Parts: sequence; structure tokens; C-alpha cells
Amino acid sequence: MRDFLRRSTVRLALAALAVGLIFGIWNLVIFAFGLQSYALPTPQSAVGTIVHRWSTYQPLTLQTIAETAYGFLLGAAIGFLLGVLMSTSRTVQRLIYPTLITSQAVPIVAIAAPLAILFGFGLLPKLVIVAWVVFFPVVVNVLDGLAHVDRDLVNLARVMGAKRTRAFLAIHLPATLSPLFSGLKIGATYAVTGAVIGEWVASAQQGLGTYLLTANASLDTAGVFGATILLTLIGVASFLLVVVAESVATPWRTRSTARRGVGSLLRNDEGKGARGWFGSLLQSRSR
Amino acid sequence: MERERQKVVVDDVTVRFEGALALDGLSLEIGRSEFVSIVGPSGSGKSTLFNVVSGLLRPTSGRVLLDGEDVTGETGHVGYMLQKDLLIPWRTVVGNIVLGAALTRGVTSRDREEAAALATRYGLGEFLDHYPHALSGGMRQRVALMRTLALHTDVLLLDEPFGALDSQTRLEMQLWLLSVYQDLESTILFVTHDVDEAILLADRVCVMSGRPGRILADLPIRLPRPRDLDVLTSPAFTELKREVLHLLHSPAVPA
Repeated sequence: MRDFLRRSTVRLALAALAVGLIFGIWNLVIFAFGLQSYALPTPQSAVGTIVHRWSTYQPLTLQTIAETAYGFLLGAAIGFLLGVLMSTSRTVQRLIYPTLITSQAVPIVAIAAPLAILFGFGLLPKLVIVAWVVFFPVVVNVLDGLAHVDRDLVNLARVMGAKRTRAFLAIHLPATLSPLFSGLKIGATYAVTGAVIGEWVASAQQGLGTYLLTANASLDTAGVFGATILLTLIGVASFLLVVVAESVATPWRTRSTARRGVGSLLRNDEGKGARGWFGSLLQSRSR
Repeated sequence: MERERQKVVVDDVTVRFEGALALDGLSLEIGRSEFVSIVGPSGSGKSTLFNVVSGLLRPTSGRVLLDGEDVTGETGHVGYMLQKDLLIPWRTVVGNIVLGAALTRGVTSRDREEAAALATRYGLGEFLDHYPHALSGGMRQRVALMRTLALHTDVLLLDEPFGALDSQTRLEMQLWLLSVYQDLESTILFVTHDVDEAILLADRVCVMSGRPGRILADLPIRLPRPRDLDVLTSPAFTELKREVLHLLHSPAVPA
């Protein structure tokens, strides 16, 4: 545990150092080229803007977070189901795959506007756009994970007289977890961009994306950078959340023994898993 | 009939892969609780034979009988273990041992207790909750064998199970398998490249020819059990080894 804390501290310190360096270079550029604040504000003033205008930014941020999160979940679910569906048969895969690739080749900015016409100006078109960019890396990775299940393991399961659904639940489904999270990490960083594009073309409610447009139009550069920093933070936070979820869902990647409970969800404890997991949560709290 | 009393009968099995003959009319009979080793040059169809006996592969012609019953092309009757341990990374030691139950009918707490008892008995008692990546190669193969034992099939097919281990660990595992075999009443079919291993473990050593695979010789190994390390240097062992080596490297067996 102490070791873990030490390593986390070092990692955090290094990340902070990198941010500090970027802010330093940013300041240096402003100084070296004698840039005016309307052209490029200093990072301090951009952060200061966030603090000063927090009452303005706060609802916008929440709105954009909601779009990002719901869209991400929608895209992840669609991507996962499509991946599993496509893995069931080569024909299904050949039927769907070209369409999926085409969907990603279409410039998202171009179809965002027609989507707004279709789905109106509410939350829905934004969710669709976010899901649109999120689902693809998920499908590709899940499909890849399912395709790379060891053939010898599948044969072993057959020799053991495995039932199809049980083999799927015990062998194939958990094998998708690691690739699924690789896809989700990519998706999490794309999701914010999707939300911003969604807000640009279909904006009845204000979000950080719409604020970017108005601030830009009124040469409010500090406002633009404030919003940009907040958007970046949402992207980084989404990524980190996925990383945390991954380490909870795939304990075998980082631990040598099973946490009682979480592991049992996969160990087929016949419904005892959830209780055990909850129990272990309570236990670790009380410790 | 003599045949009906045999545990496993491979009856005139021929396997053809896209024209190439892998097994050519191979017949083999294995008695109850007998330990039979199969040695042969690479590509002699040893693994093909295993796939036929396990039911993974339906032979082009011929039959497989288990307790006199035709099980050709049917899986779910025998235990099966490969050189690759094929442990599932997200299952613990116990979770891996009960895999057979998980895949067929669902794991009960009795399965887990039995798996824990098995692991404890064979020296893995402190590793019940460990994931496979935290175990050594030898320990992993032990778990793989326990997973096979937990199936409770009385025929075990072991295809070079110790082939990937270093020679020290391999010898340890061979002695361990001897002791496990002593505890069980299983019938074991064991494929290996290693002549010492074949003789040390088995009641009979079958020498296979190169492609297409046939059985060249079937030698009874009359070394007394229980066997230990000293067997390896006994005159009787050396004599058997000489015989097998000559068969393997005779002109009739192109490597």
C-alpha cells in the first residue's frame, strides 16, 4: 500500500511538472513575440477567467459533461453489442463492417447539421454525435478481442463438453474486457470533441461548445481559452475514469490474488458475486 | 470380447488432411488404469491421434471406443491437457480448476471446496486465490492438471504437458505425476518427445512412425511401481531406453 502511494505520488508529480512546463512555454511564447492578451492570453489569466466567471461556466460545464457522459455510455453500449453481434458470424461481420468504416469516413461536422434537422435541437442529436465517434473504437477492439480468443482454449472447452452460452460467458465475454477498455479510453477522449461539435450545430441549450462560438465572435479570447481548458479537463477526467473502471473490472491485470468479491463476479459464484462485492466494499471501509 | 474389456480402443483410424495422410489405419488398445506413453518424431500425427480420441476431430475412417461404446467425434468424455497450460488469466487457481463445471453445469460450492482440497493436497494451498500470471511455469501446469482431474473423467489425454518446462522442473513434475497417478485409477494416454519421460511414467511405450503415423512398436515397461528417481539410472531402464532410441532412429522412422 505504501509502495502504491509512493508510485502514485511520483506519477502525479510528473504529470504536474508536464503541465507546469507547458504553461511555462506558453508564457515564454507570449513574452518572446510580444503577443497581446486578445491574441493569446496567459494561462494564468485563462484560469483566472474560469474562476471569475464560474457562475457562467458552471451550468455550461455541467451541460457539456452530461452530453459527453450520456453519449459516451450510449456509444459504448452500441459498440459493445455490435462487436459481439458481429463476432457471431463471418457473414454478419462482412455485412456490417464496411458500413461502419464508411460511417467514420463521413466528416462528422458535415452530418452533424442533418442530424440536428432529424433529431431537433435538444439533447438527442448531441448524444447521437458523441455516440457516433465513441462506438467505433469500441467495436473494433471488442471484435478484435473476440477474434483473438485462443483456439486451443476454445478446443479445450469443447473437449470439456462446454455449453455454448456458458463458454461465451466464461471465456469469450471476459476476454473482451481488456480490449473493450482500450476502445473506451480512445472513445473517452473523442467524446468531448463530439459534444462540442454537437453543440455547434444543434444548440438550444448552452454548453461550453456554444460558449466557445459566442466568445470567439466577440474576440473574448480569455473566455475561449477558459472554456477550452474546461473542455480539456472533461476529456482528461473521462479518460481517468475509464482507467479507474478498468482497474476495478480487470483486477488480474494488476494484482496477483483475487480481491474477494470483485473477482467472484467473474468466478461464476451464482449470484453471490454482487453481495460479496458489496460486502468487501463495506469491509474495506471499516478497515 | 477382449475389446469390450479395454478402456479405450482406437480402431483402424485413418485421418486425411486435404489429401495428405496423417494417420494410416492406426489401432491402439488401452486397458483400464493403464498409463501409455506415445513417442514419435515430430509430425508423426501424435496430436492428431489425441484430437481423434478427444472427439475434436472426426477421423476420415475408423472408430474410437470408450468402455466398448462408440464415441467417435464426440467430445466431453475425456480430460485433456496440452503443453500450453491454457489457464484463464481472470480466473484464480480455484476458478481455473473448476472450469469444467463452469462450462457445463455451473460451479457449486462443493466444486470449489473440492478444488481447494485438490490444490492444497498437491502443494498449492497457499495459492488458491492467485491469478495464473503470479504462478511459476511448473505451478501453472500443476493447476492445468488439477483442472483436468476435476473433470472426473477416467481417461486423461496429456499432450506433452511438461514440454515447455526447464529440465529441473520437468523432472519434478514427472515425479509428481507419478504420485498423482498412484492416487488415481485413471487411464492415461501421454504424448511426449522425451524418451526418458515416456519410460519413467508409463506401463507401455508406443513408438510411432513418421508421417503417415502408425504404431511401430508397443513395448511393455515392467519397472515396479511406485517409481522414484533411482529408476532413471537402473540397468532395466537403460536397456528399455536403448530399445526405444533404436526404434526411433531406425531407418524405418525418417525424422
